[in-house]
Amino acid sequence: MKTITTDVVIVGGGAAGCYAALNLNRSGIRTLIICKGLVGKSGASLFAGNLVISGRLLGNTAENASNTAEFLIKYHNQFLIDQNWARRCGQWIESTYYPELEEAGLYFRRNDAGEVVTSPGKIRSVAANTQGNSGVPFMDLRRKQVIRAGIPRLEETVVTALLRKSDGAVGGVFCLNIITGETVVVVARAVIMATGYSDRLHKRSTGTREMSADGIAMAWRVGATLVNMEMQWWHTNDIADPPSWQRMQVYPNPMLGSEKSARMVNSAGEEFFNQQQDDPLAFGPYTVQLKALAKQVRAGKARYEGGYYAGFDHCDAAEVDAYTTYGKTYRQLGLRFPEQLVETAVTSHYRQGGIDVDTETMRSSVPGLYVAGGVGGHSNGLIALATYDGKVVADGVARDLPALGGGALVEQEVEAESRRIESLRNSSGSGPTPLKMKERVRALMWDKSGVEKSETGMRSALDEIERIRLDLLPGMRIANSGKSANYEWLDAIDVVNMVDACELIIHSSLERKESRGPFFRQDFPLTDNANWLAANVLKKSGNGMKFERRKYDLPIFRPDFTTKDNLEVAW
Amino acid sequence: MVTSASAPAQTGIDARRLGQIERSDTLAVRNSRLAIGEIIAVRIRRFDDSGGAAAYQDFQVPYQKWMRVLDVLNWVTENKATDLAYRWCCGSKMCGTCAVRMNGREVLACWEAAEPVMTIEPLRNLPVIRDLIVDRTPYESKVASLEPWLERREPYPQFPEPLNHKQMKDASKALDCISCMCCYSACPVIGLGDLTDFAGPAPLVQLGQTALDPRNDPGKVTRSLALTGIFNCVSCYKCEEVCPAGIPIVSRVIEPLKAKAAQLVPGMAKHSFVLRDIVAARGRVDPGALVLRVQGLRALANMPRVIRLLLRGKINPWKTLFRIKTAASAAAGRILGAGVAK
Repeated sequence: MKTITTDVVIVGGGAAGCYAALNLNRSGIRTLIICKGLVGKSGASLFAGNLVISGRLLGNTAENASNTAEFLIKYHNQFLIDQNWARRCGQWIESTYYPELEEAGLYFRRNDAGEVVTSPGKIRSVAANTQGNSGVPFMDLRRKQVIRAGIPRLEETVVTALLRKSDGAVGGVFCLNIITGETVVVVARAVIMATGYSDRLHKRSTGTREMSADGIAMAWRVGATLVNMEMQWWHTNDIADPPSWQRMQVYPNPMLGSEKSARMVNSAGEEFFNQQQDDPLAFGPYTVQLKALAKQVRAGKARYEGGYYAGFDHCDAAEVDAYTTYGKTYRQLGLRFPEQLVETAVTSHYRQGGIDVDTETMRSSVPGLYVAGGVGGHSNGLIALATYDGKVVADGVARDLPALGGGALVEQEVEAESRRIESLRNSSGSGPTPLKMKERVRALMWDKSGVEKSETGMRSALDEIERIRLDLLPGMRIANSGKSANYEWLDAIDVVNMVDACELIIHSSLERKESRGPFFRQDFPLTDNANWLAANVLKKSGNGMKFERRKYDLPIFRPDFTTKDNLEVAW
Repeated sequence: MVTSASAPAQTGIDARRLGQIERSDTLAVRNSRLAIGEIIAVRIRRFDDSGGAAAYQDFQVPYQKWMRVLDVLNWVTENKATDLAYRWCCGSKMCGTCAVRMNGREVLACWEAAEPVMTIEPLRNLPVIRDLIVDRTPYESKVASLEPWLERREPYPQFPEPLNHKQMKDASKALDCISCMCCYSACPVIGLGDLTDFAGPAPLVQLGQTALDPRNDPGKVTRSLALTGIFNCVSCYKCEEVCPAGIPIVSRVIEPLKAKAAQLVPGMAKHSFVLRDIVAARGRVDPGALVLRVQGLRALANMPRVIRLLLRGKINPWKTLFRIKTAASAAAGRILGAGVAK
């Protein structure tokens, strides 16, 4: 088996992973990126629609700046965020992020007079080239920066396990090149987990094909502490069908160069949400939309799986087309734009929770394992925040590196992983295919741990997960046992991770006995700041798990109530 | 409320969709041609590295609402051929990894509507690894060799720097590129293989993102352009026709890059300059003069070809050597001016 030795290995090639690699490389630290897809072309970063402005940039007023911070802490994270980290992050975005990106060549959309085009309103944003498509040139720039810096990449390569040294510290990874079928062991003094959000765990999910909560599952297996795993974001405006269209979103945010935003209409044709009118502070109004939809669902005027519509029929086509890509879906479907609306449905989006980190260094609870971006449990959303993590983790790792010794990997662990991966390739049971297993897990998550949850449903989901793990996983069947571009093999590797991650999510959801933001418990409908304005910390204990609650500091913003019906809370 | 049974009225015909209109081949028509549950006949090219030749395999796929090529491939994988290999990440025209050929034209699987009868094959001009998966490496190395990034001559001032959209209008179009390689597969010049040193449309669009950006150092742009073989482009517009991002590749990227190359690396444009000169002087293309002036006496090295051309009347040494004034040459001279070649 091939072995590669480097100083730092980064798992993931999105905004966080690329930026960490560029920073480490600049400090002369040998860095390798392993990406399950293609660096800058897979994962969540690609979907950044527009880029929010913080601080006093581009004529932001003090009120704009404060609104942005308030939005991030309340609407984006429901106060489950380290506010000191958020403050540092905001300052860095203002002082470094925008100038550095523009210096490298990113084109912030101007008008013909040379002004950077912004969305108006309480919180302002800009776009890289076009709103709705900002992630594409942004990540293409990162890809080229990585290539230009000569940072080695293993692409279309899935990391299947974190490998430990005899002292228990993480000191490498086991990976499989999906295209060649070759397995590789990478030995490193530090591993940075930057696998992004654990999307694609529900029947309706955003996110790219390769997302299957690998980062969460692998970190948990080596004993990393997780946090707020139950906190799941939802999109409410994604195309209802067919399945491959579900990633197409009708963006609800303010539009660049316009006072308007998309509107949502129920099955009776009544408008029930329009961000710019309903809640101008909800810049990324996902949770506010979801709450508005929940009320329609309860009134029988929409379903979470469809029966309501979204679009821009109150706008001029020219107004929407000036700076956004929002018309592209409608036109591709052959709908008249902007006159016709499209049927939309809920889709599971980013997970706020993830691996617990020290936000000063991005250390996880396991020595040698660091975290950056969406897979971390410290914040949610926004490509700028993921990028900031890339900087913090690079600084943290660079500082710690002298103390992180080399040392050999535990040989038995490497051999065991090699055998496990080989046996998955030879899955020859009489059970379902790995792809059917994935569908089954996603259906179960949607039906029993979906938008609205209750203890009964989730207990039955856990029973089903147990059945899948014990009865079905060992009997999986794949048609082709070849090595080259064998996606059945990859699906088999993925589904094991999905099952583990889903179990942790459901247990965490049972533990949080309240409703908060997008987390709806039918049996606990109140938002309970007295008991649950706290991190829901999940620790490994022996072969089991235990929960702890950790209070957040609230130095900037704090909620103005103790308990309240979650659907009546704005955020 | 949402689907319309008939195609919506066409508002303004996009030049690159010409042909589709006449064939009733617009997307709107395709989206309404099939009823839900109707059977689509799908033929997929299969290939693996175990030594056998490529073969086509047939599938019957029930149509779903607004079904795309990717939905068809997913249905086949879920229900019939679990080992079918094809690449995709985002499913929403952003990552550019799912391009295939459908009924002989390049499409993004995640974007193009399914058709009643469809043959799906891998992209051309790249090695096939398995089934619909091509090796992206030759394309990626070509792009990297052009160093498509910004080198500033002046230090960066501060955010936001002075820049307007008029200056960026061509680069901005190129920035819509998702590296799907549809154009690279469709390009007939790339299809010639090593016969030319043409970089190909997609690498040129990638280069255009920064080479058409006024902030870039002209010296840097010159070095990159010199590696492109850009004048091998025959402006056939195949690339524009297939571009799923709708980039006017020839008119807004390759032509502006050619103009830049003619100015920054005039040696590259010798053929174009000579052609223009000849037309200006003679009012017509004179193949003999063109070849002689571009290749010099090397053109005579291939005597059998020269004789063949003579016998078929393709060249006329008399007309080449003794220029005859005609009304056409006078008009061409007036329009183009004379003596532009350096």
